[in-house]
Amino acid sequence: MDKITVQCDPDLEDLIPGYINNRRKDIVTIQDCLGNNDFDKIRTIGHSMKGSGGGYGFDAITVLGDRLEIAALASSSEEINLAARELEDFILRVEVVYS
Amino acid sequence: MAKKNRVKKSPRILIVDDDCDVLVLFSKWLKAENFDVVAVESGKDALAQISIARPDLVVTDLIMDEMDGMALLSEIHRQNPLLPVIMLSGQAKIPDAVKATHLGSSAFLTKPIEKEELVIEIRKYLHLSNNDEANDVQRFGEAIIHRSSKMAELLEQGKAVADGDITVFISGETGTGKEVLAKAIHEASARKDQPFIGVNCGAIPDQLLESELFGHEKGAFTGALSHHEGLFKAADGGTLFLDEIGDMPLDLQVKLLRVLQDFQVRPVGSVRSIPINVRIISATHTNLDRAVKAGNFRADLYYRLNVVPLEIPSLAERPEDIELLLEHYLEKFALKKGETKKVFSPDALNYLMTASWPGNIRQLINVVDLCATLNKTSVIPLSMAQRALGNDESDVKTLKEAKHIFERDYLISVLQLTKGQVASSARMAGRNRTEFYKLLNAHNLDPSDFRVIVEDEKK
Repeated sequence: MDKITVQCDPDLEDLIPGYINNRRKDIVTIQDCLGNNDFDKIRTIGHSMKGSGGGYGFDAITVLGDRLEIAALASSSEEINLAARELEDFILRVEVVYS
Repeated sequence: MAKKNRVKKSPRILIVDDDCDVLVLFSKWLKAENFDVVAVESGKDALAQISIARPDLVVTDLIMDEMDGMALLSEIHRQNPLLPVIMLSGQAKIPDAVKATHLGSSAFLTKPIEKEELVIEIRKYLHLSNNDEANDVQRFGEAIIHRSSKMAELLEQGKAVADGDITVFISGETGTGKEVLAKAIHEASARKDQPFIGVNCGAIPDQLLESELFGHEKGAFTGALSHHEGLFKAADGGTLFLDEIGDMPLDLQVKLLRVLQDFQVRPVGSVRSIPINVRIISATHTNLDRAVKAGNFRADLYYRLNVVPLEIPSLAERPEDIELLLEHYLEKFALKKGETKKVFSPDALNYLMTASWPGNIRQLINVVDLCATLNKTSVIPLSMAQRALGNDESDVKTLKEAKHIFERDYLISVLQLTKGQVASSARMAGRNRTEFYKLLNAHNLDPSDFRVIVEDEKK
């Protein structure tokens, strides 16, 4: 599996593991919400990811958050699933470099 | 003149966002830039913090549950229209930006945001709110502990008039902190690095006050062994605080009026006037309107001093500040003594919060110091608070308690008189022996104890 290298601000080193872990929780929540057709909750999660990802240095999370938000507004389970899988893949492969 | 050292504080930023990841990120960024950060997760919590934390700027998210950023902005500006608010939104919608601008938002930014962009905007708007020393400002009246809107309003007025040479007149009951407010005004003025000199006009004998204020030449009067420059001269370039101005004698009022008109003082015994550059802040606990009508205070001086009147509410008029003040002074006491901070029990706190506090903050400080000194445990009980406040209701006994005490004292007296002879005692008390023994048992008194005393006395 190829690693995705992301450069983050060394000042945020103590916050990054928690931030990544919160995204893992988001993936679980998104799956639960899909089962309940709770698109509004998924939209909120996507909106938050969009707003915070770039600040931590994860532009990919901002992009995926935007996709989740739009997909949730359209109640598109297929697109939500796809974006959630991409998020899962990103989290598995991401390698953070603090510089 | 040596520059006065000041404790300078970082600007305080209140961050409001229901996303914890954003809150911790922004907190980290801003703390790294030496800002003092308060972070809350809702508009409701933000409003609660406005009067407590007194932020210099607010950064809020637009979309939040219950109270959104727009509603928060409106409410903040209803309370304080001068507080800069930066709005952040995950979506750059032009109508939102327009609405936020109309509501008085300083800036409308889009998330995700870079650290540099956020910090630049914050610095920019702190400057707009007169916080020129972006990372090193002193908040106005920081020493004045409060959460009440009455005090917030007063401090806003004080802040507004601080940066100018306008003459301020402070009224308020004794112990309300008139000098503290005067100092805050001085500290926020362009004269902050020059002296602040306070003088209590009522505490100096009339014959000495003139010399104290205006100075004297050597030999000007008996005892004037050397030249004395006077407080006006000592405060040159700074602020002179004339406390209890209402106590100033009439003849000196004329001289003070002349100084305020000409900005020159003539020391006692001198033929020359010296120019002075002093801002005057005066204060009184008395009703000067009444004093003017009664002819005890010159009307022309009163109008000269009373350019900007600021009235400090009494402590009883701002009960919501009492708990905060008690906490503050308990902490201060603990720090001074190097002890663990004590706390008031809930009923003691209730009692203190509803007390009338005729001595205001000064009395409250004394009560805290007395309680913290005398109380040996960490929780200060109601009885101690009552005793410290000089209104010891715990000393007032119920009728039953009073009767019990009286009865016991009476029995002791009778037993002492009869040297512990029960038959004689019962007779004196108008009771039979059985009844008398019951009474002794009820009070846990033993007649033999009184006989021992007799034996001791014989020795």
